[in-house]
Amino acid sequence: MRRSAPVLTLVLLACSAPLPGQSDRGTAVIVVGQEATLPVPTLISGRANQDVADLLFLRLMRLGPGLVTAGDRDFVPELARSVTRRDSLTLAFDLDPQARWHDGTPVTARDVLFTFGRARDPAIDPSRALLLRHVASVTAEGERTVVVRFSRVYGEQLYDAAWHVQPLPAHLLDTIPPDRLATAAYAQRPVGNGAYRFVRRDPGRQLELAGVEGFYLGAPKIDRVLFLLARDPEAQVNLILDGTGDAMENVSPAANIARVRDRAEYRVIPVPTFTVGYLLFNQRAYGDRGRPHPVLADVTVRRALAMALDRATMVRAAFGEFGQVAEGPVAQLHWIRDPSARAVTHDPRQAAALLEQAGWRDSDGDGVRDRRGVPLSLRLNYPGTSAVRASLAAQAQAQWRTIGVRVELVRLDGPVWAERRGKGEFDIDFSSASLDPSPAGLVQSWSCAGRAGSNVAGYCNPAVDSLLERALLERRDPRRLWREALRALTDDAPAVFLYAPANAAAVHRRFAGVTIRPESWWSALRQWRVTPGRQIARDLRR
Amino acid sequence: MTRWLGHRLLQAALTFAASLLLLFVLMRATPGDPLARLEGDTPLAPGEVELLRERYGLDQPMGRQLAAYLAGVVQGDLGVSIGHYPLSVGSLLRDRLPATLLLGGTVLLVNFTLGIWLGVLQARHRGRRLDRWLTHLSLAGYSMPSFWLGLVLISVVSLRWRLLPAAQMVDPLLPADAGTLTRMLDVARHLVLPALTLSVVTLAGTMRYQRAAMLQVLRQDFIRAARARGLTDRQVIWRHAWRNAVFPVLTLLGLWLPILVTGSVFVEYVFNWPGLGSLAAEAISTRDYPVLMGTAILATGFVVLGNLLTDVGYLLLDPRVRDP
Repeated sequence: MRRSAPVLTLVLLACSAPLPGQSDRGTAVIVVGQEATLPVPTLISGRANQDVADLLFLRLMRLGPGLVTAGDRDFVPELARSVTRRDSLTLAFDLDPQARWHDGTPVTARDVLFTFGRARDPAIDPSRALLLRHVASVTAEGERTVVVRFSRVYGEQLYDAAWHVQPLPAHLLDTIPPDRLATAAYAQRPVGNGAYRFVRRDPGRQLELAGVEGFYLGAPKIDRVLFLLARDPEAQVNLILDGTGDAMENVSPAANIARVRDRAEYRVIPVPTFTVGYLLFNQRAYGDRGRPHPVLADVTVRRALAMALDRATMVRAAFGEFGQVAEGPVAQLHWIRDPSARAVTHDPRQAAALLEQAGWRDSDGDGVRDRRGVPLSLRLNYPGTSAVRASLAAQAQAQWRTIGVRVELVRLDGPVWAERRGKGEFDIDFSSASLDPSPAGLVQSWSCAGRAGSNVAGYCNPAVDSLLERALLERRDPRRLWREALRALTDDAPAVFLYAPANAAAVHRRFAGVTIRPESWWSALRQWRVTPGRQIARDLRR
Repeated sequence: MTRWLGHRLLQAALTFAASLLLLFVLMRATPGDPLARLEGDTPLAPGEVELLRERYGLDQPMGRQLAAYLAGVVQGDLGVSIGHYPLSVGSLLRDRLPATLLLGGTVLLVNFTLGIWLGVLQARHRGRRLDRWLTHLSLAGYSMPSFWLGLVLISVVSLRWRLLPAAQMVDPLLPADAGTLTRMLDVARHLVLPALTLSVVTLAGTMRYQRAAMLQVLRQDFIRAARARGLTDRQVIWRHAWRNAVFPVLTLLGLWLPILVTGSVFVEYVFNWPGLGSLAAEAISTRDYPVLMGTAILATGFVVLGNLLTDVGYLLLDPRVRDP
């Protein structure tokens, strides 16, 4: 089941067993920017809640090192010790008999059925219900076997069944109505089945977890974990620099990376992400989805705009060693990404020629092209909270000016920017998407059908739709088909795909066996330990 | 006096009610959908947005939202936070208020003890080197942006000298069984830098007010008479002059009382101080209407209360106000 191919986790120090009398147990203080207020599956909203839930609750199986979401091979057992494919529509999970809830009750098929029931109910968890729409039924065969049947044959059946659902304890929750769960005592003190159990939460300050003694997949050596909340990125870094914090997910802004590197006690680790940033071209008129965009509906103009930008230089300036140029709407970590693909090359001369060809010429010599008396002028919306996007937007504006395109930068307050984006009130939108490990989400953002939802630019090409659909259904060689679909998509230049960044994680050097899983940041914490002899006061406090 | 007090209380209640209405309407009129950013740049499923709109009553017409909100306020229910769901606004305010009161209270205490003393000292040494130096120093502090001063103090005192913590209100690793004294000392250590930052940038106001008021009083005949009666300098200054020069500073206290609640957004952010200022700033950036309304109501309440207390203070201390 486990694939040994691409290693996406970072194992930084090899094992070294502690000498007699020395301990490798310890405490980790993790500085975070968002607060986990409700880390309970089926109620989860946001990354912070998911990160904590991933320590409290296991999945049936988790993604393997290749992060390949299609097929049945790249998955690692968690609650289920194995999975059997009975036919092209049926999977049977065999639950591990050692799995226990933190109150000591065994995890059974009843818990899995109970959770699927809630997760598939659109009235309870609409987002998850949408992800599980192809699950036809979930049944139990005895205490330990769960059978999941699907309504269609497609490549990500196992991923959908194993990844999107983290079983909840039916014996504690079946008397609580779903709409009362968020306010029930359970939600404030969740009982899970993972390597860590909930200890306490001080709202607005910190959340504490403790390692589960005798955890059946291996008891954590880091047996006390504190998530310390600091919303200001500067305050987060200061908490690392003054020694309060042991780890943080992403040191930002970039200038702070050097400050952390100057401290001998910390290392900075590049961790690729599922994030991709792009300048999205609106295919429909500003604020009017009934009409095509007078400028950007023309693919020649979109290609010219993409070609005019020196993306490599821009990404290097913004991210240094932590960024790569995005070649399509996929991040560094997506298994469908083609590292050799070069969708658009920087060629301002060719870009200018394309604009001439589309009829945009500088007829009055004011430096801005025009056509039939209308200047080639566009508005670029970006959220003011993102320093990276502000800097890149200014660079794009300057580079487009050189080919005679006037771009007005519109800096917006976060909620206003999001609202305008949703209503299609933009010419160009500086988007940054944190994607799912599965490429299936691309269908929502880049297909004709997605125009009712997250395809806010109204991009629609039936040929691309057809390729995406084929890639989704393919079980034998989905990678090839996904790449074909991506090529067709990027050829249409619905956006300038700009950056696919890595995070700069900071981790105290006393930790060994440090693994950071990009799909779930701290979920491998139970494999961390303190290098024997390097414990500090907080590690010794019990 | 009872009639005056009743009239003044009614005025305060009306001001408070008008502010409440204005705040509610202005917040709803502000562009930006509070549900648009719950998942960063990735929009929520349409069904989920509808569920949330229903949960927070945002699917109702504004008039009905206002009526429901006012009915809740009357019963002490300020609603449920959008960003901190399922926590109620009341519980969030209760959690954050002590931190803000501690920081704001310390700053006010420093301002109205040290600030008054320094202002009096300056007046006593008017035009001399000490007066000039204190003027320069206080104005230098006044002109510094609080977030910048905070960052400088963190950089030097916390990160270079490692004398005091750079952020937080308590040590996150403080043992659960730590004694009261240990906890108090821990909070005090964390309080020094944010309180110092806010005090330095606000102290000048009190000093200047107090200095000016003292200089005016020291020119009066009754001061000359007191000196002629052979009273010591200390008696003249504190017993006769200062008592008459305290009123302008009292007005300042009334105006600054809201600091107790609003604190300083920047300072709370820089020092990761878990108070109401940072809660309000976060609520503004996410359009968390219920939390914004809650913090605004609290701040408005303190402004109204501050003014009321100032008027009452004048009434009690100054016979000229009592018997015009």
